[in-house]
Amino acid sequence: MGRIHVVTDSGSDLPVELREQLGIHVVPLTVQFGDEIYKDGVDITAGEFYARLKRETRMPSTCQPSPADFVEVYERIAEPGDTIVSIHLSSKMSGTYQSAVLAGSMIDPAITVKAVDSRAASMGIGLCVIAAARSVQAGKTVEQVLEDVQQVIDGLQVYFVVDTLEYLQRNGRIGLASALVGTLLNIKPVLTLVDGQVAPFEKIRGKAKALKRLRDLAEEFRQRHPGKALRAGISHADNQAEAAALVEELPAILGSDHEIVVGEIGPTIGVHTGPGTIAMFLYSI
Amino acid sequence: MDAINGLAFKNMLLAAARHLDQHRDRVNALNVFPVPDGDTGTNMSLTLNAAIKELEQANGVEIRRLAALLTRGSLMGARGNSGVILSQFFRGFSDGLAHVETEITGEDLAHALATASQTTYRAVMKPVEGTMLTVGRVAAEYATEASAAGAGALEVLQAALEGARAALADTPNILPVLKQAGVVDAGGQGLVYILEGFLTGVTAAPEELEQLLAQANRQPEGAAAPKLEQEVTVNRYCTEFIILGNGIDALAVRRELEGKGDSLLVVSDADVVKVHIHTDHPGEVLEFCGKLGELTEIAIDNMRLQNQEFASHEESHHLDYSVGNNVIEFPNSAVPADPKPLGVVAVVPGEGLAEIFRSLGVDYVVPGGQTMNPSTEDLVKAVSSVNAEQVIILPNNKNVIFSAQQARELAEKPVAVVPTRSVPQGITALMYYVAEDSLEDNLAAMEEAMREVKTGEVTYAVRSTVAGDLHIEERDIIGLAEGKIAVVGSSPTEVARDLLKKMVDENSSVISIYYGADLNAETAQELNELIRAEFPDCEVEVYHGGQPLYYYIVSVE
Repeated sequence: MGRIHVVTDSGSDLPVELREQLGIHVVPLTVQFGDEIYKDGVDITAGEFYARLKRETRMPSTCQPSPADFVEVYERIAEPGDTIVSIHLSSKMSGTYQSAVLAGSMIDPAITVKAVDSRAASMGIGLCVIAAARSVQAGKTVEQVLEDVQQVIDGLQVYFVVDTLEYLQRNGRIGLASALVGTLLNIKPVLTLVDGQVAPFEKIRGKAKALKRLRDLAEEFRQRHPGKALRAGISHADNQAEAAALVEELPAILGSDHEIVVGEIGPTIGVHTGPGTIAMFLYSI
Repeated sequence: MDAINGLAFKNMLLAAARHLDQHRDRVNALNVFPVPDGDTGTNMSLTLNAAIKELEQANGVEIRRLAALLTRGSLMGARGNSGVILSQFFRGFSDGLAHVETEITGEDLAHALATASQTTYRAVMKPVEGTMLTVGRVAAEYATEASAAGAGALEVLQAALEGARAALADTPNILPVLKQAGVVDAGGQGLVYILEGFLTGVTAAPEELEQLLAQANRQPEGAAAPKLEQEVTVNRYCTEFIILGNGIDALAVRRELEGKGDSLLVVSDADVVKVHIHTDHPGEVLEFCGKLGELTEIAIDNMRLQNQEFASHEESHHLDYSVGNNVIEFPNSAVPADPKPLGVVAVVPGEGLAEIFRSLGVDYVVPGGQTMNPSTEDLVKAVSSVNAEQVIILPNNKNVIFSAQQARELAEKPVAVVPTRSVPQGITALMYYVAEDSLEDNLAAMEEAMREVKTGEVTYAVRSTVAGDLHIEERDIIGLAEGKIAVVGSSPTEVARDLLKKMVDENSSVISIYYGADLNAETAQELNELIRAEFPDCEVEVYHGGQPLYYYIVSVE
């Protein structure tokens, strides 16, 4: 039996150390400022991206990896007989998953590609990927690995707060939250993901209250899952301070058996959420 | 006189309306609070006049029919809390006469007054003694006593008036706020005037009565006010757009645009500036702003045409009044597609606030609030105009809640009232309004949410008074926290700042300031800077509210 490899895309926002430690391969999406094209995490770091975003008047955009990009990675890491579990951005938000599926049909048939639509973004993908990599490390079969990933996908609750809806709207990723646009008041919406796309959760006035609401939502999540071990992911877009404040309070909220992974929202997701975003991902096991 | 016939009954009601109308200002002056507020005399007078209008047009003097018209007219015309209680009084009064054939005896009258009083007590969730309720109850008690002793109709009426006057004089002994303000209860006084009018109606000589009834019914200023706001729109185009670009000076934008129109809103956030203005020169506005950055989401609507549509729509309502029977029909407006499950009607003072409420999903804004309390009928019509199966009403004023609840009884579709007592409560409730959720879920969420916000208002004193240890002179600027006078001063800016100092605590994170029609954006901006400096831990937001008489409405959450 061949080995199992775990692949994701740059929308997963996994910290580099964790990626290396778990042997996860990341295929970058590209970010464009006008004609200038950068591979996320290869040609441009998150820090450089947000600095650039502040200076730019042009709105950047992202582009999914081509199937060829995936083929290149798949064939580099896998031997015939191996299996690749390739976990990606919600297919409702990006064509990345489609590219991975296509790539799977283009490579050496002796290599099996199991492409997974995470129906999430950022650390939501990240948590799926971590679960997959750990199952692989634990020596589980491909079926068991996929089952473990599916459990994360099914149980995942996502809440995030953006400073402005402008970025989601201009990039067409506003999803079901479009009703919030056009509100004359300065509202900090708490958003969620429903069926793989952005949806409004609550309208809140003021960032401080919105962030407090994230804490309350974590508390409510714990109450809905009594006695369970909880897994949390926190990611932030150029907003270390508010993320750290949330992460500091989470252990007391989540109870004794918990794990928190913190990541920075990179250019791939940051283009769509804008700077300042704080996202919280929760599931129970 | 042992009994009152149909003609005398009609005269009695007409005379009461004229008598109350003549003393409207005196009743208004009994306002305990020295704030420009929904005036009791105006509200009661408008309510009774709405009922009388129907009576005047009615041919014939059949008592039961007159009573039915009285009920319907007053229920629909009810404005403000006092108007709603009065309409319930007349409803009970008419019910009490339901069995009367041709003449009202002393016994009938006593019974009608007793039913009237009971109906008012039932209509109020927590009856407070020392108010119109008490005056009506004591009047009924005196009347019942007289009737039991064999008195005729006239004597019963005299007894009722005697009881009402005694109870009115006693109201300051029951309610300390009245004593402190040195007044009797305004609603009770209004009821006394009505009973006096009743008596005049049945006792006055024909020529005297004719003279009284011929006096032109003064159109109280409040009556026209809600309409006025629709008509003052002088600037034709509602212009909205977003400017994209770094470092745009929102204040400079505001200054430049201020001269070009009204209802100006300039909201900036990092590299985005949102502009809203009513202007006759949308081209100039776009031209100027286009130099500052990229314009996007440009929307220009002709409000004059919208208003005409609205006005003709209004007229068609009036034309369809079927005065001849007891049913008032409201035609549906052009009946668009299928109704949505849920809609919202909000009572909002000021065009700026109206825009804000609309942007939060309100389907129909009824202009009004502090000084212009919409009638129950205004609200019933608003509910009819919303193409939804169920409608939520946000009264946004403590003096409108009651009419909204009455509208719920009279509307032809299910209506729920979220009892918001202020504009900020309404806005906060709307934060939790989700059009797709059930009515029940929305009500629970909205009612819980509205408690999370503190409301402050800055206005001026309409008369000198003492509130607690605060000495207030007429025209002083006063600040109210949750409806209670908390600050007195001489400038709206200072009073607003001092008021916020009292309202903000360590849990506060957002301060919103809605400035009124009497202030310009620059004055509001000065307050904005002052407040930001005073409360560095809070987010401060300033919006054009456009509300009359109230310089600022502020909220802390």
